[in-house]
Amino acid sequence: MKRSIFALIAVLMVSFTAVAHADGLEDGATAFIKALEREAVESLTDPAKERSERVKAFRQLFEEKFAVAAIGKWTLGRNWRRASEEEQKEFLHLFEDLMVAMYVDRFENYAGEKLNILKTTPVDENRATVHTEITRPDGTDGKPISVLWRVGRQGDIYKVLDVVIEGASMSITLQKEFASIIKNTGSVGGLLEELRKKTAELNPS
Amino acid sequence: MWRRSCIYMLFLCLFFVFGCATPPPKADLEAYNAYLETNDPLEPLNRSVFTFNQFVDRLLLQPAARTYRDVVPLWVRQRIGSALDNLRAPVIFVNDILQGELDRAMTTLARFSFNSTLGIAGLHDIADDMGLKQHDEDFGQTLAVWGSTPGPYIILPVLGPSNPRDAVGRAVDYLLDPFNAWAGNTGREDLAYARTGAALLHARAGLLDVTDDLERNAIDPYAATRSIYRQNRAHAISNGNVNGPDVLSAPSDFPSLDDRVDSNTLSGKP
Repeated sequence: MKRSIFALIAVLMVSFTAVAHADGLEDGATAFIKALEREAVESLTDPAKERSERVKAFRQLFEEKFAVAAIGKWTLGRNWRRASEEEQKEFLHLFEDLMVAMYVDRFENYAGEKLNILKTTPVDENRATVHTEITRPDGTDGKPISVLWRVGRQGDIYKVLDVVIEGASMSITLQKEFASIIKNTGSVGGLLEELRKKTAELNPS
Repeated sequence: MWRRSCIYMLFLCLFFVFGCATPPPKADLEAYNAYLETNDPLEPLNRSVFTFNQFVDRLLLQPAARTYRDVVPLWVRQRIGSALDNLRAPVIFVNDILQGELDRAMTTLARFSFNSTLGIAGLHDIADDMGLKQHDEDFGQTLAVWGSTPGPYIILPVLGPSNPRDAVGRAVDYLLDPFNAWAGNTGREDLAYARTGAALLHARAGLLDVTDDLERNAIDPYAATRSIYRQNRAHAISNGNVNGPDVLSAPSDFPSLDDRVDSNTLSGKP
């Protein structure tokens, strides 16, 4: 009797883990980040192309792999509702330019250094955190930097929702920054003005 | 030492008196809540000190840190980093204990024993090879574990972002440190200053990537730094537990993919 109960529990446990694995969120997210790293480095280090073309290729990759509009909307927070439709549209446009410029910079800086995937943990049924570390040989003492990738899934499509470096989330930092600019300039229009200036400065073209 | 500290504190007090921002009226609840959440009543003053610090940084600290990083070989920098970490071990050990983290305290103690002896005065982090990984603690974190709130954001002259809790923590750590006490008691203050200077330089060099990134990409570097400082501290206080209750429980903590549908990202351009 006892043995059959154990057997039953064992069977149940195995089937539960099987269900959890069949879902494949963790594996999918891990594979997604692996591919993202490879493609980003490839697009930014292709010696056959001019830099402007490399940035163009990266932008395409970025639009495909990052939930840019969702992040943008989220970083504007309560001010999203206050913005007019025109302002929302311009904001998302400028936000994408800003993100592309920022991440071109970051990926170029880190290209060639190993992104070490440590583990992937689920957040909920459609979001997961991929834990990675980057070792920078020209950093101060060669200690690895912790980088977390928050990945979301919709059907078969995965996208990056946030990048967290040593505990500091890019999205949260941008959100606070935007809130501060809106407070100091008095309106979403003031933020748009600053974003126009910044993106022009980052993408001289 | 004391006199200099007193003058420093006096200046801080003067700044506090003159540097306060007026909070928005409570009638505008959203703005008032945002003001409380930002928790930076001294913002106008803090921004001035931030600008002053940036000036000092560009003039002195940054060039020194860049030279250090570019001229001193990685192997030597690693030895310096390990030795500085090892000197901090007693303070980390005490804070581990005060936080009730006995396992981590044992790790710190074992690391200190191995690295101080076999590791030749801490120059070689041999404990790391044995799987005893380094971690940091400070009294500011201990106060947080004990339930202290950070208090308002402050930018300290030269020292940078802080808050009352972490500033007190810094002072307590300095007093707890046996190396500083030994240097002070035996007339070797120079050694304590040299160590503080080396630690500052090494730490500044370690932050070059972050500050370069901020300088290029941030629109409001002051606000970005404030947010990053707080997030780094929260990360340190939770001992890097990214799935802790504070980080992910709130659904608004980071954007959900569902937001994407009504903003049309799936089809490409917004």
